[in-house]
Amino acid sequence: MNAHLRRSFYLFAAGFFGLVAMLAYWQVYSREALANNPENGFQTQRSISSPRGLILAGDGETVLAKSVKRETPQGPVYDRVYPLGAPFSNVVGYWSTRYGATGIEIANNTDLSSIAGEPQTLDDLINRATGGPQPGNNVVLTLDPELQELAYQELQGSLTGRGSVVAINPKTGEILAMASSPSFDPNNIDDNYPELASAPDAPLINRATQSLYPPGSVFKMITAAAALEAGVSPEDTFFDSGAYELPGYTVRNFEDKEYGEVTFTRALAYSINVVFAKIAVDIVGAKALTQMALNFGFGDPYDDFPLPVSGSSVNSLPPDQWTTGTLAQTAFGQGEVQSNSFEMALVTAAIANDGRMVEPRLVREVRSPDGIILDKPTASIRRQAIPPGTASTLNEMMQQVIIQGGLTEAEIPGVKVAGKTGTAESGNGNAHSWWITFAPADDPEIAMCVMVENGGRADRGALPLAARLMRAYLEEGV
Amino acid sequence: MTQRAFTPMVLALLVTTLGFATLIFVQEAASPPLVYGAYYAGTLFALYVGVRLLLPHSDVLLLPIVTLLTGIGLVMVFRLTYDVEGAETLALTQAVWILIGSGTMFLLVLFFRNYDRLFDYKYLLAIAAVFLIASTFTPLGYTVNGARLWVDLGPVGFQPSEFARIALVVFFAGYLAEKRDVMAATSRGFLGIELPAIKYFGPVALVWAASLGLLVFEKDLGSSLLFFAVPLLMLYVATGRIAYILLGGVLFCFGSFATFLLFDHVQVRVQSWLDPWQDPDGTGFQILQSIFNIADGGLLGTGLGAGFAQTIPEVETDFVFSAIASELGLLGATAILLAFLAFTYRGIKIALLAEDDASKLLSFGLTAMFALQTLIIVGGVTKAIPLTGITLPFVSYGGSSVVGNFILTGLLLLVSERAGRREAEGLAYKKVPWGSP
Repeated sequence: MNAHLRRSFYLFAAGFFGLVAMLAYWQVYSREALANNPENGFQTQRSISSPRGLILAGDGETVLAKSVKRETPQGPVYDRVYPLGAPFSNVVGYWSTRYGATGIEIANNTDLSSIAGEPQTLDDLINRATGGPQPGNNVVLTLDPELQELAYQELQGSLTGRGSVVAINPKTGEILAMASSPSFDPNNIDDNYPELASAPDAPLINRATQSLYPPGSVFKMITAAAALEAGVSPEDTFFDSGAYELPGYTVRNFEDKEYGEVTFTRALAYSINVVFAKIAVDIVGAKALTQMALNFGFGDPYDDFPLPVSGSSVNSLPPDQWTTGTLAQTAFGQGEVQSNSFEMALVTAAIANDGRMVEPRLVREVRSPDGIILDKPTASIRRQAIPPGTASTLNEMMQQVIIQGGLTEAEIPGVKVAGKTGTAESGNGNAHSWWITFAPADDPEIAMCVMVENGGRADRGALPLAARLMRAYLEEGV
Repeated sequence: MTQRAFTPMVLALLVTTLGFATLIFVQEAASPPLVYGAYYAGTLFALYVGVRLLLPHSDVLLLPIVTLLTGIGLVMVFRLTYDVEGAETLALTQAVWILIGSGTMFLLVLFFRNYDRLFDYKYLLAIAAVFLIASTFTPLGYTVNGARLWVDLGPVGFQPSEFARIALVVFFAGYLAEKRDVMAATSRGFLGIELPAIKYFGPVALVWAASLGLLVFEKDLGSSLLFFAVPLLMLYVATGRIAYILLGGVLFCFGSFATFLLFDHVQVRVQSWLDPWQDPDGTGFQILQSIFNIADGGLLGTGLGAGFAQTIPEVETDFVFSAIASELGLLGATAILLAFLAFTYRGIKIALLAEDDASKLLSFGLTAMFALQTLIIVGGVTKAIPLTGITLPFVSYGGSSVVGNFILTGLLLLVSERAGRREAEGLAYKKVPWGSP
């Protein structure tokens, strides 16, 4: 009888081990799939029943997002509140149990959420082990709150009210401002989302990173960089006859002007399309021009950046299949060239920073609720886009854009300012108005790109807007 | 036989204390009167001391396992009901049932040291068991959640099947021990399987069929499964003939197919097991909530009180294991399962060391019932098998179940006392090494 007793025990033991295997299947193998199942409301329930961390501006004090407790019959729940609203919402994003999350709210969800991720302090570990309350960590952004607010107001007051501003510290890569207009109020997103999502002017889109436009003449900085690398010097002279005929395409200057014999520096200052097209076709070539754009970050989706970025592009065709017409148009940022203020601000910052492209950053640090720094990313170099010598030449040429080009509005007393205009044919209404700039040119603190959709001439749309922001930042110490 | 279990007793009580401390200090649950905690710890400790005095040779390691399981059960019942309107006092009621169970067990070990006299009354016990089960069909019986399992006894309702099955195990043990030789012998063939004379099966089959039939009509599927499987396993152990298991398997297939066709509620159960997503807010709701909660626990669990187990209907009774898996995680749930396995192991060991056939079969039958009940309900809530509503021994909320399992443990202790005493006296004791045939 004892043998049968033992066999029965083995049967029971096998049953118990089978149950452990079944548990492991649910709790380890299928855990995530079940957590994300639409019938499973636990994640939502949990996320509203504990406070998320704060999102703070670069001063470490200005609160951009916080969780506010509200008592309900089912126990306390936390509502997400955005005290400063629309000017910051393209970066901060919204957080909704119904419509998901965007911006920093989702990019840094692991930090902000009290439930996701690994415990990071001893308190956190103890709280979790005992199932105690777990407030999320605080995320401090790099944004200068006053510059951001001002940039948003300026965009709102621009010709079309549609556009974007990106300002960056060229040495550290910290984004000082990233404004997009029109924007939206992230408070009460649950009620407003359907209307916002279908609005014709797309307020939910972050125009600074997600939209793509022809950059026009601001792209000439990349052509100029390629030209300098190909051996052109700023004092070389070129002849502009007002038109440059190529098979199937004729290049003309802005407002059909004709400049005659000019130096390369002057060609940039007057933004002469004919000269740049000739240089691209005769000296640089499609391959080198494309390569230079790639060096400056074209084609890169910036996967490490917290916000979604639409990668800029030069052309859908590989350079060896371009016609000379394509090459000529590309030289002054038309044709198929697509970019946005984020990318162009990075190009500007790289020129300002001796040719070194730094990693753009939006998050300065992550702190635990009791102030312990958990994460503090440091500045890192993406790549050397161009040699320092080339960068300083471009720097000088961009200063001459303001001096020789007579763009007095961009000048700041006592500060050397560099810049480049862009008035890009949009194919739909007024031209897009671009202005890239950095200052002080001898020791850059800020690089900026302003873009106003259908804002018309650069020197009347984007430039004055940017100049006010630059002055506010540098003079008033915003 | 383990004769001392002081440290395990203290550890088991500490686990319970830690559980309540977590709920009260971290989850800020309103504390139940501390005096109840003292009563609980005092009772189980007194029970341990009492058993040590009365049955000095028994396998007393069963008691810390029981203490651990009832303690975890109390913590979970408290956690799941303290803030539920109308059920705030459920944990106190459960504590009272544990007191009653401990008292019953103490009386059992005090007065039934000659437990084998029970075998003399085996037919009486069998008849009593059948009547107990049938008592739910009297006007006193009532239906809860579609199953007619309850009898109203004035102040309390009780589930007769929880006690009837112990009586039935006693009957089967007594009968099979008497007839095991003739039942192992073969006299005729049936479908190629050699079977003994049919007359020896008469009483067994009659009791078996009667209890099973009644339970099926009461719609108590879990108990039906237990009542079917435990006698079959006892028959196998008694005769050593695998043919009985095979025959049982065939019968099981026919029987479950017949009940599937006959009863709507069986079809619903099977469908919600095979594809709960078909009706996630209706028939599939309970099992899906159970799975969601179990998955939510992950490896380490959400922490006591931090899970959402209250979303499962009947969580404090049939689904208490889902709540444990959710809040204590895979590690905690596995630890609880190991405690059940340890109880089963001690039970089988008691059967191995028992001297006479009836005692062997009795302790085996009780252990098998305990183990199978655990496997059936845990398998049910983890969707390993179709769900059949029975309690998790000692852990689930439920008076009849707790008292019944204390009686079961008491009987195991009585059997082990006899074997232990013989061992101590060095009489006619043959050492049986574990693992050899």
